[in-house]
Formats: sequence, structure tokens, C-alpha cells
Amino acid sequence: MIHDIWTVVWKEWQEFRDQLLSLRRGGLSALILALILGVVAPVQLGAEWVESRLIIGYWPFLAATMVSSLIADSVAGERERHTLETLLASRLSDSAILIGKIIAAVMYGVGFAVANLAIGLIAVNVAHGENGLILFAPQRFMVTIVFTILASLLMAGIGVFISLRASTVKQAQQAFGIAIIVLTMGPLLLFNALSYETRTAFIARLGRVGETRIEAYVVAGLFVLSAIVIAGALARFKRGKLVFD
Amino acid sequence: MPNGPELAIRAEHVTRDFGPVRALDALSLEIPKGIVFGFLGPNGAGKTTAIRVLLGLIDPSAGHAEVLGLDTRRDGSAIRTRCGALLEHPGLYERLSAYDNLDFYGRAWRIPRGDRQERIRELLTRFGLWERREDPVGRWSRGMKQKLAVARAVLHRPALVFLDEPTSGLDPVATAGLREDLAALAAQEGVTVFLTTHNLNEAERLCAQVGVIRGGKLLAVGSPEQLRARGDSGRVDILTTGITEELVRHLAGLPDVRTATASGDHLAVSLSNGASVAPIVAWLVQHEVGVEEVRKVRATLEDAFLDLMGAETTNGEAAGGTT
Repeated sequence: MIHDIWTVVWKEWQEFRDQLLSLRRGGLSALILALILGVVAPVQLGAEWVESRLIIGYWPFLAATMVSSLIADSVAGERERHTLETLLASRLSDSAILIGKIIAAVMYGVGFAVANLAIGLIAVNVAHGENGLILFAPQRFMVTIVFTILASLLMAGIGVFISLRASTVKQAQQAFGIAIIVLTMGPLLLFNALSYETRTAFIARLGRVGETRIEAYVVAGLFVLSAIVIAGALARFKRGKLVFD
Repeated sequence: MPNGPELAIRAEHVTRDFGPVRALDALSLEIPKGIVFGFLGPNGAGKTTAIRVLLGLIDPSAGHAEVLGLDTRRDGSAIRTRCGALLEHPGLYERLSAYDNLDFYGRAWRIPRGDRQERIRELLTRFGLWERREDPVGRWSRGMKQKLAVARAVLHRPALVFLDEPTSGLDPVATAGLREDLAALAAQEGVTVFLTTHNLNEAERLCAQVGVIRGGKLLAVGSPEQLRARGDSGRVDILTTGITEELVRHLAGLPDVRTATASGDHLAVSLSNGASVAPIVAWLVQHEVGVEEVRKVRATLEDAFLDLMGAETTNGEAAGGTT
């Protein structure tokens, strides 16, 4: 099983590599993104780029967005390009194929985020490190990485469902765009819809709970949600059904 | 009846329904190991569904099928491990190189690295694709892609290969080339080939046995010679002297003569099933026509196929049934 999963990961990475190396197929946008996020933003913001709490939400969001695009191409694209049935006719199991695709996309998304964090750290130190090394607080860095992995897994699981229902990659990516807006903007809009008193009370209660405990709750929540969604995706990704899609 | 291990495929009354549509209708088939079997039928006849059932990708609604002695319902994974397949589409990753396409499936079949490299080189060389191995497959012609897809199907030296219309959409030169490659491959690798096609010429040249399917029903099965014999064309070519248009018209009106046409001294007569040519020759001689040569036209597989298609249509219409 492990060998089969890595075989699928290997194939997916060969395709991602091709996309990354080809400027027309997404390599250029990845390069621009890496330049802005990994060099321009850290140089402009300085130490604030490292100390801001926003990184806990920002990098997971970036990785999850990347994963959504990759998983759509990997699942819906496999069907659109008529390679899925041949893959299903191989000896690889349904779960090895799906888990391999999810791991490949998550590795790519998380890898991109971590690489940008590392480049950013170098950039910020080169530009502003005259008074000593500027580093992330270890706990915040760890939480950011864990959030990034879990958000990517959740998005990959959701992506499988969306991609299995979409007939083309474009359709899947459009559906993803809407899902991301709903998932990120929805809670903010809901929060703003609350009365001023309720919001103040809510923030005060969060303050009493403490930052570490909130982070632990979010990690647990993301973990459970990811597990449920991926288990559902595994149940849906079956040869007998896929052959007719 | 041969037992399991001597048969590559055994299907017993396999039926597959898709809602109200019956794609396979009580298909019973026995295919010995080591032959090229051609599954002939028009589009929508049930050929692809048969492959999907035999590969264990979908279960039959009723009936039972075994592939290499394995149950298609229970042992799908084991069947797919021992079989290769080129399905409706080549199924190649067009962004990857030819080498990487084969490398991926070689890894999937757990072929050790050294053997895998050697096998990929052997197959790409055999199909004349080695020099282009690093090209992304998306840049290749349809014929080259089909060859690569065949190479992928036999990469792991399967005992049985399913090829679903492998020459479909190819130009005549590419078709002939791929056909030669398939024949050589089947002979050299000793693999059983289950080939679906609606190209009768291809089936006649490649297959030791053929089955004809329509509307999910198996209409006939046997060697191409046996099917040709079933489809006796009833056509006779007669080289004459002194035949006139008037006599040809009279001849066409005789009992047991379906059609009669003349081109110069060459007379072509189509007889009813089982009718003898002797009374026709006697009639010609009686009307002072010189008979230089009489030759029965051997039925082609196409004649037999069209006869079967025609007979089935007639039967279906007479019974008011659907296929």
C-alpha cells in the first residue's frame, strides 16, 4: 500500500514539476507569488512580517488555495484528459490512488508555503537584520506549520468531492473559488452581523480562554474535520462509481 | 469443456444493465489461453462493457465470469494485476514523457528498477519510439500514442491483454503498422489478446477466434474460417461468351437468383441460400451462352458479419424486440 501511494505521489509530482517549470502553465504565477510573498512583503514589513499574528491564518490560507487548484487538476483533470479509466484498470487500489493524490497536493502546497517562509526570513534578515537575527517565535511557527498542513488536508478532501462532481478542471476550480470565499468570508460576515455587545463579549471570552488553548481547539477541529472529509472522499472514490462518471 | 486454467476467459450468461438499458445480454464465452480473440460489433454493441466487466471494474447484474481462473466480482484486483489494458482512450499522461509514462506504470506494477529500465527500452525500441522517449507525449501523433499505449499495456508481461479498438481513428498506414506490431507482439510474448474492433480486415488478419456481438448478445463465435463458412455469400462469378442484357434480365427473374449483373462477358450472380449453381449454368448453355469459367466467390468475414447483423435486425424486427 505504502509503495503504491508513493508511486502515485511520484507521478503527480512529475506532472506538477512540468507545470512549475512551464511558465505558461502556472510557473509564472507561482514565481510572481513567491517574489511578492517571499521577498517584497518581508522587505517592506520588516520585523512586523515575522511577529504578526496574521501568519497563523495567512500561510495556511495560501497553501490551501494552492492545494485546491492542484487537486482539481489532479482529480477532475484525470477524468477530463481520459487517463482515469486506464489508471483504474491498473493494479493500484482506489485508496492508494486517492491518498497518493492528496499527499502529493498537500506536500506541494505546504512545501510552497514553507519555502516562502524560509525565503522571507532570509529576505527580512538581509534587509533589516542589522541588530541581530529576526526569527519567528517557535510556538507560533509550529502552530503555523500545523495549521498549514491541516488546512491543506481539509481543502484536499473538499477538493476531491468538488472535483468528482465537476466535469472539467475549470468547473472544479470555479467551484473551489466559491467554496474558499464562503469558508473564509462567511465567518467574518457572520461575526460582523452580530451586535456590538455580542462581539465584544465574544472577544472578551476568547481572551479569557487564552491564545494557546484557542490554537489547540482550532487544531483539534481542523483535524477532526479533515479526517471526516477525507474518509468521505475515500468512500466516494470507488472504481465502480468512477467508471461511469 | 476445458477447465479453468486452460481458459483465459470464461463468461456464463453475463448480463449487465444500466437502468433500463441492457448492455450485455446473457453473454457466454470461452476463450482459450494464448490466442488473439477478436470481439466484433458495431458501436454500442457492448464490447467496452464486456471489457469493464472482465477487468472487474464493474460487476455484472447477473451471471458469472472468470478471467485467468479468477472471479471478476471477487478478485478484481488480482485480475487487474495479471492483465494489461488499452481502453477506449490511450490514457496517456500528455505532459509526461513517453519514458515517464511507462516508468509510472512499471512502478505501479512493481517491476524492479533494472528490469523496468530494460523492458521500457525493449518496448520503445520495438515500436520505433526510443529516439522520442523524452518528448512530452502531448506532442506525438495519434498513431505514436496508440503504440505507446500498447507498450504500456504489455509492459508488465501480463498473461492477458485487453485492447479496445486499438486502431480506431488511425490513418491506414498507422493502422497497418500497429497491426503488424500487435501480431508480432502476440507471437513473441505468448500473451492472450482480447481485441475489440469493428475493423473486420484487422480481425481477419490478427485473430484465431472471433465473436460477433450486437445489442449485448453474442451472435456467433468461432474461427474466421468458420464464420466465413456460415456466411456463404451465394455469389458466383461466371466468365461467359455471348451474354446479352436481355438474357441477364431473364436470368435475374429465375427462382433462386437474387441478383444478376453483367459487365462485358463477366456475369455476377447472387443465389439464394443453399441454391446450386448447376441449373444456372445449364440455363445459360440452353440459351447458347458460352460458359468459360464458373467460380464461387468466397465469403469474407465482412459478408459473414453483415449477414449476422442483417439476420439479427430481421429477427429483432420480427419479434418486435429491442437489442
